[in-house]
Amino acid sequence: MVIKDSERPDLLEPPLEELAGVEVREGELPESLWKVRWKLAWTGFKKNWKLFAENKIGLFGLFLILVFAAMAIAHPILRSVGPWDDDRIYDPVIGYDAVVSDFEIVPTEADVVDPVTQMDAPTAQLWCFGVLPGEICSIPRAPAPPGPGHVLGTDPLGRDIASQLTFSTRAAFFLGTIAAVVTVVVATTVGSMAAFYGGWLDNFLMRLADLVLLLPLIPILIVISGLFEVTMPLLGILIGVLSGFGGTAIVLKSQALSVKVKPFIDAARVSGGSNMHLILKHVIPNVLPLSFLYMMFTVTEAVSLEATLSFFGLINADMTWGIMLSTAQTQGYLRSGFEFWWLLIPAGLAVSLLAAGFFFVGRAMDEVINPRLRSQ
Amino acid sequence: MTDTRMGTAEGILGDTNSTAETPILEVNDLVMNYETKAGMVSAVEGVSFTVPRGRSLGLVGESGCGKTSIALTLMQLTANNARVLGGEVILDGENLLELSAEEMRKRRWNDLSMVFQGAMNSWNPVYTVGEQIREAMDIHWNPKPTSVEARAKTEELFNLVGINPEMIDRYPHEFSGGMKQRAVIAMALACDPKLIIADEPTTALDVIVQEQILEELRKIQHELGMSIIYISHDIAVIAEITDLLGVMYAGKIVEMGTTSEVFARPRHPYTWLILSSTPSITGPRRVLAPLEGEPPNLLDPPSGCRFHPRCPFATEQCVVEEPPLEEIYEGHAIACWNYEKVPATLAKGER
Amino acid sequence: MVKFIAKRLVQMAFLFFLFLSLVFFLLQAQPGDITAQFLNPQIPAEVRAQILGRLGLDGSIWSQWWNYVTNFFTGNLGVSFSQFPKPVIEVITERIPRTLFLFTFATLFAYVLGFTLGKRLAWKRGGLGEHGVTVGGVLLYTIFYPWFAILVILFFASTLGWFPVNGFLTVEVWRGAPFTGNQVFTQMLFSLGISAVILAVGLLVSRRVSERSTARMIRRSTYALALIAMAMFWLLRPEMRPYAGNLVRHAILPVLTLTLVAFAGTMLLTRSSMLETLKEDYILTARAKGVPEKDIRDRHAARNALLPVVTSFILGLAFIIGGGVVTETVFGWPGMGALLLTATVIEDVPLATGALGFIGVLALMAHLLVDILYVVLDPRIRVQTGS
Repeated sequence: MVIKDSERPDLLEPPLEELAGVEVREGELPESLWKVRWKLAWTGFKKNWKLFAENKIGLFGLFLILVFAAMAIAHPILRSVGPWDDDRIYDPVIGYDAVVSDFEIVPTEADVVDPVTQMDAPTAQLWCFGVLPGEICSIPRAPAPPGPGHVLGTDPLGRDIASQLTFSTRAAFFLGTIAAVVTVVVATTVGSMAAFYGGWLDNFLMRLADLVLLLPLIPILIVISGLFEVTMPLLGILIGVLSGFGGTAIVLKSQALSVKVKPFIDAARVSGGSNMHLILKHVIPNVLPLSFLYMMFTVTEAVSLEATLSFFGLINADMTWGIMLSTAQTQGYLRSGFEFWWLLIPAGLAVSLLAAGFFFVGRAMDEVINPRLRSQ
Repeated sequence: MTDTRMGTAEGILGDTNSTAETPILEVNDLVMNYETKAGMVSAVEGVSFTVPRGRSLGLVGESGCGKTSIALTLMQLTANNARVLGGEVILDGENLLELSAEEMRKRRWNDLSMVFQGAMNSWNPVYTVGEQIREAMDIHWNPKPTSVEARAKTEELFNLVGINPEMIDRYPHEFSGGMKQRAVIAMALACDPKLIIADEPTTALDVIVQEQILEELRKIQHELGMSIIYISHDIAVIAEITDLLGVMYAGKIVEMGTTSEVFARPRHPYTWLILSSTPSITGPRRVLAPLEGEPPNLLDPPSGCRFHPRCPFATEQCVVEEPPLEEIYEGHAIACWNYEKVPATLAKGER
Repeated sequence: MVKFIAKRLVQMAFLFFLFLSLVFFLLQAQPGDITAQFLNPQIPAEVRAQILGRLGLDGSIWSQWWNYVTNFFTGNLGVSFSQFPKPVIEVITERIPRTLFLFTFATLFAYVLGFTLGKRLAWKRGGLGEHGVTVGGVLLYTIFYPWFAILVILFFASTLGWFPVNGFLTVEVWRGAPFTGNQVFTQMLFSLGISAVILAVGLLVSRRVSERSTARMIRRSTYALALIAMAMFWLLRPEMRPYAGNLVRHAILPVLTLTLVAFAGTMLLTRSSMLETLKEDYILTARAKGVPEKDIRDRHAARNALLPVVTSFILGLAFIIGGGVVTETVFGWPGMGALLLTATVIEDVPLATGALGFIGVLALMAHLLVDILYVVLDPRIRVQTGS
């Protein structure tokens, strides 16, 4: 039992119409309908933005997303008119650059302390004939550490890491978008149909949702990718369908149910609206904000899932962050330690940060949509 | 007529109880505000009253007038942003506001218990009702009760409030609303407290159950000689079971006296208007006179008498100077400059 | 209660049936037929028909489907292509104890850590600690898991050398051991199982007893018995000790990594659940009764906040199982998850789908346990299930 709302002046706000400066007079509207709708929508958006912005974490997440978006946009620019326009070197898939580095020669393999800057004499003989321990030999190498021309170095096949990184950002956004949209479409459809048609359909769909919920996604996707050729678009659809049928559908169904019992639905039905019409016109707009929220979490999941599957070499794509790590791993550069850090850190960090960014934004949006979660 | 000891607890109702006993509770000049982002909300502003031993006091007022805030302050259960800025709360000779948190914890329920609004939710759904009542005993009884003793006492309490003792081992969701309310009252009595505060004990119950509960409460007060404070917005309910009645408005007590007196002859304009807006089955037919306006914003309360914006008898003095709560008639205190203008009969509205 | 469990088992069986059917049709949806990779396309048609007949691939799709599902239920998962002629079920059973070991401990630790942290976080609101732990938890939750696992290995195993780099046992230590790793695992899991049963029985009994001191005594002896049961293995089989120790040493990093990634979800949910619960009126009533703060937090708030956490734990199970697959692969832990991946990569279809089916069984069993736990915890549901 705490203070009632009437004693909390900061909770009492003028209605939206007043804030938007829209006069509501009896009888007629002073401005045209679409203008009024636009003003209300815009003011509503500003109000929600203020709430969203209160949460530092959400802002941080948004910042991360924008950084990655910038990277995604930057890639084609850098590759066409920027410093990366040389296809032979900077193409993320087929580029090659043999960066010449200096190696200090040591007597035997056992003496190699840092494989990045040292090489044993027998191996070095292949390039610098007659070289002795203690001397320097310049050898073209891949992977090469960050240096001139390659901000993040090159990978085991001589390809520029930074180019790969930014190229993969586009793939990630692409995948995330597909997965998110498919999830929302599937979940909204399933949820609305279950809510409105009820009966055995409802039962069946909910049993199916239960099943999907408790089955682990990764093993299923692994097997699917073994049986079929999984490309990025297909993966997006798969993730979308599998998560759309699960928990999201259940949540959206209860949301649809709460809309279903509102009086205006009865009114619409009386005036002849069919179920489908009701769903499209009334349920979907009401359910949309919640769907948008779940889209954020779906993108998080999709980015992580794709990276994991690519890491195991199961996805058929040109270049993604997962593939970058997979290349490094299978060629054995991640065995012994952090010497080849530029193969390890940028790609992994990218996956983690993009996933985290969408998650943070999702949580902040959650607090806007569900006011009970706010720290007050 | 007016007592020279104005504004103190002894001044008001000093001779309603002619015994030499000290009152069980004395509240002197209690001031409590809530700190909010928008500023300080003045919830309780200089409230004083006494509860004589074995008597019941009712506090009546609109939502937000501060009555629940007072109750919470007495129990020291206010929200984190509550600030007690002055006053004393003396329970049986001890000032509760001066106690440490741990000392107060020991007093809670043992000396002073509370029946909250909406008893349905006072029960933790995962433990049986018996267990939850037992919990209170385990904490406060000294020495701790044995199973047998606790059971016996709980059965006694259940019989007192009219619940079948078989229900002791049932879960709250197996009780009806009225039973839950009664069980809460039983739990409040578990440690034989000196004073019980009942906040809206019958709201959210249907009328028949309401009657039953009120009957129980009357019985308890009578049989056990309990001192009780009732809080309600429903003056009709309060009038049935209290000996003394205090009317609150915007954080202040505006009228205080015996219930029959205040009911029969309301002297403060606010009380008069409230009673005028309540229909009576037995009285003469009249058109109800509504109370205009809204309760004030406690962030920035009106100057002078807080009721003046809505008062039909307000004068210039009311805007400038706040009237103190003074005993005007014997055992009847009023805080108003113009109490003489208040008519003897209730107001009639306009058609 | 028994009725409830029986009903749930039937539901689970049905769900599993659905799942298997979906897997089967998924298999069929492949372009070409299953044997395409394994049969020489040039063999004559009659021989091919013969082979198909022997493998049971010549019937109608519905008979194949029925055979497939019933076979699974009787434990006949077919024969592995890559480890021919070893039956799939044999390959899988060998791997199960290792996966169970990893899964059980990771789940337990993740849950206990998440719940305790979440409970305390919600209690002491505000402050840098809350923010830091929340953000830290979320970062652990969203971090790219294989990458995280590699980092952990590189740091703790390769660089610091505290733990072995991969595998579940050290070959040198185990050379000539009188028993297999699986036997040791099974023993450990067995004692864990027994102590779990003791705990369950003991705690349930202590709830029934009304006398407070007796109840407490029962509880204390239950804990003691449970601990003894867990250590029973240690006591009764002294010859297993060094081997068990080696297994545990190998298990630490994988279990730790999986726990770290899984606990954050539980922690965040517990925290929000606690915050919701703290607004309830019965918390205020408890405070009014003079209940000490710690008891309010644990006996009143946390006990109720527990319920939605347990429900969502079902989702968490799927996450942990999936994470288990990745963990096994990266840490070289030869369990069912690793099997799934390798079988998929080498296109040993019976083995891969068999492993997938088993993972489904694991998920459903865990779900059932959590369901039962929920009924025990929430008295409102108990009435509905008629116990």
